[in-house]
Amino acid sequence: MDPLIYILDIIVFIGIFAIVALSLNLEYGFTGLGNFGKVAFFLIGAYTYALLIEAGIHFIPCIIIAALVAGLIGSLISLPALRLREDYLAIVTLAFGEIIRIVVKAEHGLAYGVWGMTVPPAIFWQGASFRMTLVAHIGLVFVCLLVCFIFVQLVTNSPYGRVIRAIREDEVAAATFGKSRLKYKAQVFAMGSAIAGIGGALFAQYIGFIEPYMFMPMLTFTVWIMVLVGGPANNWGTLVGATLVQLFSRGAKIMKDYLVVPFDPTDLQYILLGLLIIFILLYRPGGIFKERPVKTKALERVSQWKERS
Amino acid sequence: MEGTLLKIEDITKSFGGLHAVDGVSIDVNAESIVGLVGPNGSGKTTLFNVIFGLQKADHGHVYFNNKRIDHLAPHRVFTRGMVNSFQFPRLFYQLTTLDNMLLAARGHRGDSLINSLFLRKGWQYQEDELTQKALEILELLELAHLTLAPAGELSGGQRKLLEIGRALMADPVLLLLDEPAAGVNPVLGRKIFEKIEHFRQRGMSFFIIEHRLEILTEFADWIYVMDKGKVVIEGEPEKVVNSPVFYNVYMGER
Repeated sequence: MDPLIYILDIIVFIGIFAIVALSLNLEYGFTGLGNFGKVAFFLIGAYTYALLIEAGIHFIPCIIIAALVAGLIGSLISLPALRLREDYLAIVTLAFGEIIRIVVKAEHGLAYGVWGMTVPPAIFWQGASFRMTLVAHIGLVFVCLLVCFIFVQLVTNSPYGRVIRAIREDEVAAATFGKSRLKYKAQVFAMGSAIAGIGGALFAQYIGFIEPYMFMPMLTFTVWIMVLVGGPANNWGTLVGATLVQLFSRGAKIMKDYLVVPFDPTDLQYILLGLLIIFILLYRPGGIFKERPVKTKALERVSQWKERS
Repeated sequence: MEGTLLKIEDITKSFGGLHAVDGVSIDVNAESIVGLVGPNGSGKTTLFNVIFGLQKADHGHVYFNNKRIDHLAPHRVFTRGMVNSFQFPRLFYQLTTLDNMLLAARGHRGDSLINSLFLRKGWQYQEDELTQKALEILELLELAHLTLAPAGELSGGQRKLLEIGRALMADPVLLLLDEPAAGVNPVLGRKIFEKIEHFRQRGMSFFIIEHRLEILTEFADWIYVMDKGKVVIEGEPEKVVNSPVFYNVYMGER
């Protein structure tokens, strides 16, 4: 294969996964919600997008609607789930991810179940080479990534961001100071799901064909590794984490063709990812980038005051 | 009674067979410092949790400003003007001292998602004022040099002070303090109570659990003594401390 196409392909995937990792960072890194059903909202975004494109709608509203649908379902799921303690929330969301996938697999009328769905290409023009459409995809993905990144940065560096961080630190103390933990968590869950939905839509758009088997729980764990490696509660770290993990797993995939190992070489990727996460959690549990203080006017004010005294 | 701010009526709370709080009635007057003492396990903290809505009472009512609050969730009790501070500080340890203070502010417009995102002008001005106020309180508590340090880096005594400072930041009408002077050195303990007195004169009321009787009796207007979930005696500090009932509670029946 043309190595340039391979590199462009990696860049698209980095962008898509960075979006999903940002959404998990908002949920887990900032709010402390252990969402292990990330893939469900990715799936919902992908299928919503595919169905709408098939219905002949322009791809930009399709992406927006995919985000809204994922966000809406996210907020519905959050109503019962968020009353649970952290570890139970993890189990419930993990189960939800599997349930959604199995439902889609069993359903035949709308999305063709196990047969999968072809997503009509939305980005093409007369005389476009494969390479050029790839570049166009990169443009679209990175515009979406930029929008999501700015959004998450604004949300987390505001009084609102301060409240969700406080809920992560100690829910009871946050409630003591008048913050309704359920309200905040439900909002964050809805926002996180919507952003993951955007990632799903872009994934469907790029791949051009989706089937239930693409949405295994492994995808959720990959996104988790990205957040843990990059540093929870640091959005820049999440971007770096997404890039590193994507390169790492691609590298492992390539490597398996050249290595002689006494086990199935396709497992190599997972073994190395497992080692990576153990290594990170042992030697740098905060990830590569540390959390930064909430950046608002208050911070400026204090630095001014410090200079004066 | 005229000027009753907090009225606790016949509160009962059991855990299995244990009556942690057993038919307790207490009044806290406006602009007063009321003490609550008693041996370990006599139900003081449980009573505080029930008042603040952290635990549901099995029986009885709590009135605050003549309105029932015993069915409210903690964050609603907070909006009514009461603040609870914990015996063991529950700070937001990864956040800075400043953020801990700002989080306690009542009615910050930026706390809502829509305002935080779209009405930045609206809360930025407010945030400026609140920071000023936080700095004043931190200066009063001698924590100002730690404004931008993570709360997790504070020493035990400083954490205790921040826990109280955070409560003051909310401008409460009534403050529930669970052992404010415990675990800090005697000088600092006195200082804390002097600050409490300072804020009482500005119109705040305090309901305080405290084991350091020598300090409490000096500052409190009224003291309740609990034993095995019941109020056994109440009155002016001097009278209570010198009564035989009080002696029996701590030393056992003779």
